[in-house]
Amino acid sequence: MLPGLRDPSNRVSRRAVGYWTARAAADGLCLLAAEIAVAVGTGFGLGWWIALALTVAAVAAYALIMPRWRYRVHRWEVTGEAVYTRTGWISVHWRIAPISRIQTIDSHRWFGERLFGLANVTATTASAAGPVHIRGLDRGTADRLLDQLTAATGQVPGDAT
Amino acid sequence: MNAGLDGPQAGWQWLSPRSLIVRPVTDLIRLLPVLVGLLFFGSSRGSGSYWGFGFAAVAVVTSIVRWCTTRYRITGERIYLRRGLLNQKVLSVPRDRIRSVDLSAHVVYRVLGLRKVMVGTGRNDRREGESLHLDALRLPDAEALRAMLLVGPAGPSVAGAAGAAGIPGAVAPAEQELARLSPAWVRFAPLTLTGLVIVGVVIGSGTQLIDATHIDLTSIGPVHRLVLRFGTLAPGQQVLDGALVLLACLVLLSVAGYVALFWNFRLVSPGSGVLRVSRGLLSTRTTTIDTRRLRGAELSEPLLLRAAGGARCLAITTGLRVGRGAEHGGSLLLPPAPRAVASGVAATVLGVPVEYLTGDLVRHGAAARGRRYFRAVGTVLVLVAVLVAAWSTGHAPAWPWESSLVLVPLAAALAADRYQSLGHRLSGGWLITRTGSLVRRRSVLSTDGIIGWRIHQSWFQRRQGLVSLAATTAAGRQHYVAHDVPAAVALAVAAAATSDLMTPFLRS
Repeated sequence: MLPGLRDPSNRVSRRAVGYWTARAAADGLCLLAAEIAVAVGTGFGLGWWIALALTVAAVAAYALIMPRWRYRVHRWEVTGEAVYTRTGWISVHWRIAPISRIQTIDSHRWFGERLFGLANVTATTASAAGPVHIRGLDRGTADRLLDQLTAATGQVPGDAT
Repeated sequence: MNAGLDGPQAGWQWLSPRSLIVRPVTDLIRLLPVLVGLLFFGSSRGSGSYWGFGFAAVAVVTSIVRWCTTRYRITGERIYLRRGLLNQKVLSVPRDRIRSVDLSAHVVYRVLGLRKVMVGTGRNDRREGESLHLDALRLPDAEALRAMLLVGPAGPSVAGAAGAAGIPGAVAPAEQELARLSPAWVRFAPLTLTGLVIVGVVIGSGTQLIDATHIDLTSIGPVHRLVLRFGTLAPGQQVLDGALVLLACLVLLSVAGYVALFWNFRLVSPGSGVLRVSRGLLSTRTTTIDTRRLRGAELSEPLLLRAAGGARCLAITTGLRVGRGAEHGGSLLLPPAPRAVASGVAATVLGVPVEYLTGDLVRHGAAARGRRYFRAVGTVLVLVAVLVAAWSTGHAPAWPWESSLVLVPLAAALAADRYQSLGHRLSGGWLITRTGSLVRRRSVLSTDGIIGWRIHQSWFQRRQGLVSLAATTAAGRQHYVAHDVPAAVALAVAAAATSDLMTPFLRS
């Protein structure tokens, strides 16, 4: 992706593709429902049919392309010294945070993620701009990572600023 | 409820009893307009004034309860603050976490010889109820407390945190004055937004006063005549006169605001490892910063201030986030002043060559310049296109799009200036970045203070081989960004600034 910067070594769980697809589809359906509601309210002219058809096409394309593209971009790696992630799809973000400066490790399991057996891990540093999120991990990996990071950060004294 | 802290040896201390008087006196002053209205005009239209008295009474009772239930204690390692009547709460903070001590006082406090003490600990200063403030102590007590917390035995030092190594050069043997307000600096006052804010405040409290006293302004003779005269002017003249009056008000009020906020401004280094900023004409504020927490400095130049050769200087300190308003949340090291003075202060405080604050930076190249123009001019062209489309379909007259063409050269000028500002540099363990046009900011950040990197590449940036490189830090604005740097340069900078962190992830 970026010549000179190597890829983080691990991909996220393959199930994340399903989760992102479901979320994209759900968002698209909400948008469609809103459009239909307005269309019914205003008499359902020809313009609305075209708008609805375009929306369906756009949502379908988004739900098909985005998750697969995102799966190719999202990668993570935890070494003895640092947490390194790459996220995004059209725009790409790389984040690097040293383990020695991590203050808290936590894990959220949203309802949607739990349906797909997924979990995420967030490592916060003393900088308000510095949290590193690893999303779309399978649960076993997330638990192992949580233990590993908690143990690693516990060994560093000081207030990590 | 933490009974263990209540031992006989505990040494809990009370706030100054004089602080009980503060609240009634302040409320009395605040209610003065209402009293005047009642006494002289005898009017009792509306029940607003009675509500005012009711609230004041409640506030006075609350302040008494607060005084009775608040106590603090300082031990070798920690500072404790206990407060609350029904929900008692004990805050405790390790003394080595204390980054700053802020003594402030408005007029009533000063008359009573009191100071409000705010202890900055970095963590929860933002959250109400979590901040460690003592309201209020007698001045000698407050000063003794400050001296003990920041200069005295600091308890166990922060091992392991690389930044704790401190900034060499900021250490001075005895009290040393680094900067002092020169009256000539008042000329910079109208060139910042502070004036506008003050105009807003004055208008707000003015209408409140008029509302409370029920004075009909137009019934006052001179005002009445002025309004009549204004009505007879031509519309063009009205606009011109109105603008002139507004401008004059802005200038006067911003000068008044500058004097009120920054009179007696002094930046001193009262001993080793501490910086003290004191300022204020009526309300005073003294901020003391532990230089071990200092991670850098920022020169900020709003467009007009920059045109006049002025700049502000802010500290980049852990525990003091850059706030809004003229005081920037206590991180201000120098109010608007000549640029040379601002760079000099920043250089002295950080112990770096002044050249870091004035010298040339690495430019980001033609692609970055192209992006500045694309974004500024492109946005304006979209606007023009929309207006043209509206005109050609008969939805709008022609003058909107014709006049919007004026924006094109303005946008081009903005883009050119934005590119001129863009730059970065890494020298001697300091990362220097500069960005912005309407407010140009040059920050000098210690690489010891960098606690991570964020690299961002948008679709357009990818096609041009650019990235935005952000160094995250626990201090100041929390992250400092070099925008639109060629990717290879960005990686080289990040690798050179924090070699241990970046090297494993670089492709050899």
